[in-house]
Amino acid sequence: MAKIELRGVTKRFHGSEAVKEASFTIHDGEFFILVGPSGCGKSTLLNMIVGLEEITEGEIRLDGVRINDVDPKDRNMAMVFQSYALYPHLSVRENMAFPLKLAKLPRAEIDRRVAQAAEILELAEFLARKPAVLSGGQRQRVAMGRAIVREPKVFLLDEPLSNLDAKLRGQMRTEIARLQRRLGTTTIYVTHDQTEAMTLGDRIAVLRRGEVQQIGTPQELYMQPRNLFVAGFIGSPAMNFLPARMIDNRLELPIGSLEISEPMCRRLEATPGPLAAGFRPDHLQIVLSDSRQEGGLHIRGKAEVVEWLGADLFIHSDITLGEFQEIALPEELGLAPEKQHRRTLVARVDPATRVREGDTVSLCLDPRHVLVFDAVSGENMSLELTH
Amino acid sequence: MMESGGKGSLERLFWGAGSIVVVAYALIPVAWIISLSLKRTADLSDQRFLPSVVSFENYGVVFHDPQFPPALWNSMSIAGLSTLIAVLLAMFVAYAVVRLEFPGRRLIMAAALAIAMFPPVSIIGPLFNLWRSVGLYDTWAGLILPYITFALPLAIWVLAAFFRQIPWDLEKAARVDGATPLQAFARVIVPLAAPGVFTASILVFIFAWNDFLFAITLTSSNDARTVPAAIAFFTGSSRFEQPTGAIAAASVVVTVPIILLVLMFQRRIVAGLTAGAVKG
Repeated sequence: MAKIELRGVTKRFHGSEAVKEASFTIHDGEFFILVGPSGCGKSTLLNMIVGLEEITEGEIRLDGVRINDVDPKDRNMAMVFQSYALYPHLSVRENMAFPLKLAKLPRAEIDRRVAQAAEILELAEFLARKPAVLSGGQRQRVAMGRAIVREPKVFLLDEPLSNLDAKLRGQMRTEIARLQRRLGTTTIYVTHDQTEAMTLGDRIAVLRRGEVQQIGTPQELYMQPRNLFVAGFIGSPAMNFLPARMIDNRLELPIGSLEISEPMCRRLEATPGPLAAGFRPDHLQIVLSDSRQEGGLHIRGKAEVVEWLGADLFIHSDITLGEFQEIALPEELGLAPEKQHRRTLVARVDPATRVREGDTVSLCLDPRHVLVFDAVSGENMSLELTH
Repeated sequence: MMESGGKGSLERLFWGAGSIVVVAYALIPVAWIISLSLKRTADLSDQRFLPSVVSFENYGVVFHDPQFPPALWNSMSIAGLSTLIAVLLAMFVAYAVVRLEFPGRRLIMAAALAIAMFPPVSIIGPLFNLWRSVGLYDTWAGLILPYITFALPLAIWVLAAFFRQIPWDLEKAARVDGATPLQAFARVIVPLAAPGVFTASILVFIFAWNDFLFAITLTSSNDARTVPAAIAFFTGSSRFEQPTGAIAAASVVVTVPIILLVLMFQRRIVAGLTAGAVKG
């Protein structure tokens, strides 16, 4: 049993706030992800939970007990570091036995647990070796092994896969997910990779500049992002964003205008600043020249780049913003347009479609999937409609 | 295959020949001294590289000399104590400089370097007068103090470079694994820092052991005179005799501990213990 509650947790370094008022609860047995671009405070938050960083303000409770001032050694949490932090002078067996020896467990029990962990992680044949001779994946497993032998209340993983190559990362991701389900231990996992976050997490907290942007299941974050940052951060390829404005109860985009409902109109008209419309590549469909879909917004453009990935086909097509004002997107997203006053739209279409680079294509946008954001605050204005 | 084999043997030849040249250059004088020390007094100028008759007569002379045994004791104690104190202090300094954020970190390192660059010969005169007036002249402390002063910068730089390489995540990992700060230090950091500490210790020890300038200037009797200074006071068994053989024997006796020390710890010094702690 381990439930972790954060109440207004704040961390200040030399006056600047690395984490601002984080308040949320991680339930028992949950696989909880902290995700965000680098420098968003996710590792700092993890270090505060495990006790390696002091908490400037607020409190952290473990099963209802305040642990702010509990020494890391007494928190009964196990952590896997990005660098693995294996003890280079100790063998794999000694590495895994290290926390158990410190806990003064009887020798037989230590041997039993190490053997069991080695079995689960397929490390039995490497027990006598030193970390230096192991491959990256094996080291990663030893680090996991050192965490699980303790049977801790909580697992904390700080970007555990970022030092592995792409293939191994995919493998270890599945392994970690399976292991967590098998052990049922509350797990907090820090990553900057939204794919890892989406595939592993029961729930995800998206952080930006020390502030929690949204907490929810992968589906919630994908379908109902609370703001423009979450919408742009979650999903790959990223959501398409265009400047938008309200004219005569219609939402005008550089690619055409959309009819919108009455309450939505009132909401958007109350927004003082410029608007931004967002839609995922999945919701841009290719239309063959002879058919015309009802109600959709049609865009004709040149296929500048065509990426065929077997199961997916991505078409990149440039459009001009016309007389629309450029909107500023959060810079961490890396979505800044390459060309002035132009945008590249990405569409994910049926891979069976025959499109070559340079072809003129007709794309259709399903208006039900267009999200409207306040371009200044980033708030998702269409949120209530989707509920 | 032929080509790579040929290239391989050529490379081996190059390295082999190179090693021989370097080793010969370094060791021929040592061999010469050993050979001299094993010659009988009468054979000293026989112009042979190897002694015609091996004799330990010179070693007998050295150890029955009234100066040499106390000088050996002085040398070992003074070099040992200087090493112990200098390395201990340097460990604290290097640890603080590497691990803590405080104003003046760079200043400390720069000041240490400045001291190392200071020529000892320029302070030896004032030091002689100073030591005489404060009563440190011809005492162990009178030598240990300057040795520590001149060895500290070296030790600090060596240890700081070493400590910088230690992956400090390991300390955090140990803390999370249930170690107290002291346990984390003793069980994880100390074993990793050991090769650096050995390296620094040996360098400091050799510096103190070999020093002649301070030893000859700041001592006057067997109370504190070290071997390099004592050798300079060697006389032959009669005043018509050159003490060449005895000097050679004494030189061998003082070289042996250094060689043993290096041989004993070379594995620890060379071992890249920190490799494999982190990625890569």
